[in-house]
Amino acid sequence: MQENTNNIPAPEGSVTAKYPELGSGLIPVEPYISPEYFEREKKHIFKKTWLHVGRADQIPKAGDYFVADLEVCDTQIIVVRNRQGEIRAMHNVCSHRLNEIVYDKRGNTRKLFCKFHGWAYDLDGNLTGVPEENSFFNLDKSKFGLTRVACEVWQGFIFVNMEPNPAQSLEEFMKPVYGSIEGYPWDKLKEGFRWTSVVNCNWKLALDAFQEAYHVAYVHGNSIADAIDRSTSVEGMPPLDVICGDVHRRLSLAGNQKSVYGNPKAVTEGGAAAQQALSDAANARPIAAAALRAGVGSAKEQFPLDALPEGVNWTKSPNWLFDMNVIFPDFYVSLRPNYFQAYTFRPVSHDKTMVDARVFYAEMTTAGGRFFLEYMKVALRDVLLEDFSTLERTQRAAQTGVKKHMIVQDRELMVRHAYHAVERMLARGEAQEAASNQ
Amino acid sequence: MSIVKSLPAQFAELAPYAPIWALATETERNIQRHTVGMDAIYEYSKAILPRVDEVVTFLNAIPLSDLDSKPEAMTLMQMLLSLAEIAPAVEFYKQPAVIDGYDSRRFVADETFVMSPHP
Repeated sequence: MQENTNNIPAPEGSVTAKYPELGSGLIPVEPYISPEYFEREKKHIFKKTWLHVGRADQIPKAGDYFVADLEVCDTQIIVVRNRQGEIRAMHNVCSHRLNEIVYDKRGNTRKLFCKFHGWAYDLDGNLTGVPEENSFFNLDKSKFGLTRVACEVWQGFIFVNMEPNPAQSLEEFMKPVYGSIEGYPWDKLKEGFRWTSVVNCNWKLALDAFQEAYHVAYVHGNSIADAIDRSTSVEGMPPLDVICGDVHRRLSLAGNQKSVYGNPKAVTEGGAAAQQALSDAANARPIAAAALRAGVGSAKEQFPLDALPEGVNWTKSPNWLFDMNVIFPDFYVSLRPNYFQAYTFRPVSHDKTMVDARVFYAEMTTAGGRFFLEYMKVALRDVLLEDFSTLERTQRAAQTGVKKHMIVQDRELMVRHAYHAVERMLARGEAQEAASNQ
Repeated sequence: MSIVKSLPAQFAELAPYAPIWALATETERNIQRHTVGMDAIYEYSKAILPRVDEVVTFLNAIPLSDLDSKPEAMTLMQMLLSLAEIAPAVEFYKQPAVIDGYDSRRFVADETFVMSPHP
């Protein structure tokens, strides 16, 4: 029975048919529940791939730093801005007797001091001071700096790579799928909010919950399902288009503009867009309507739709809602006309994921604008609590072993591609390893 | 224990709600939403909504960066942020918690995130 289902090709006109190499079959459950599979992912994906750890805006001044927990790479990384304004990354391990150098998760410092014996390093990780230096045996300080990690920045997003000499630069990694969104107004979106949670599920299961809109009508039935356009006979939220790269993937969505949450451009455009968003909200959702009235005109910057780079809303839909962007392996960025969300689904173990969810809005100049942001942020947070409601339940259900496969429809193409991208990278990594062992 | 938090004179009728809803952080506001019960949430929403545009107009006259030195205005601002906090309870769920939702106490707001606005 399952074999037969595997063999039905996706029909012409479906987004799945654009990528015949992905097939149209069932997706195995094993990668979501197997500790052995997770060890392969650690070795061949997470320890070799560019991983997002934060925004450059989080460390604006020289000496600003934060610590990224990367259990999936068996380490902790200090990310710091040096005196020249460059961002550096190094393992949080002292060269002397290996204590963790930084205890706080973030801060500002002139130098990095080890609290065990007082060894001091500059912001590039060079060893600059050793108490009782003469009691060591001709210690050559230039050889014993902190261990640096490859670190590059793309569009303000800081990435690190555990490979001493990464096979691709960050730019080479990003360009093929994301070159066309460079120039998105990141720099106008600096009012950020952040939540974290350790969720007892596999990292792919968490990511999957965000890389399709099939769930909106059900999981979000009480909240933002009014973003679904009910004015036509089309059921649900079909993607405008899906782009599957070698490992990255993108999906663009349209929706009903007559809602405050679903029509964020209303607050920065005002006028007709605001009237449209308010038309249904004024009676049904008076707090939402009050927040939008309070916010119109408060944004410090303009966000004209025609100034967005061509890769954002690439089908040029007049009812565009947002683009989902998954940056391999575990980073999700949702781009809207005047705000964006950035979520990492970073594995801790095969059944545990550290989620770091951030949202960035336009700077508001008034209390009314701040009220609007709080409305949008709280609504988003509660929508995320809906998204998260399935994760641990799905993981437990997967671990029963009752089902060996999942069924994926056309509009869940990104879930299908995600499985293939991981498989592809595991196969490449293991082929390379086999070749180098010969 | 009662906390006295006064409001600008023209909003004196909202003063009974200040000790409950004038809270400085998202975490405190969210905990309060899950503590006071739906009747109290509806009561506050009904009390402030008819005045909300006036509250916004009053606060818009004060630069956000000056609120720290104007305790009555800050109290009013925090009450406005609490209205945003209870909006989903009133307009989405008709109950304090997200229906079938993930535990909000496990979804931890980073109150010291460097990019977060103040207040």
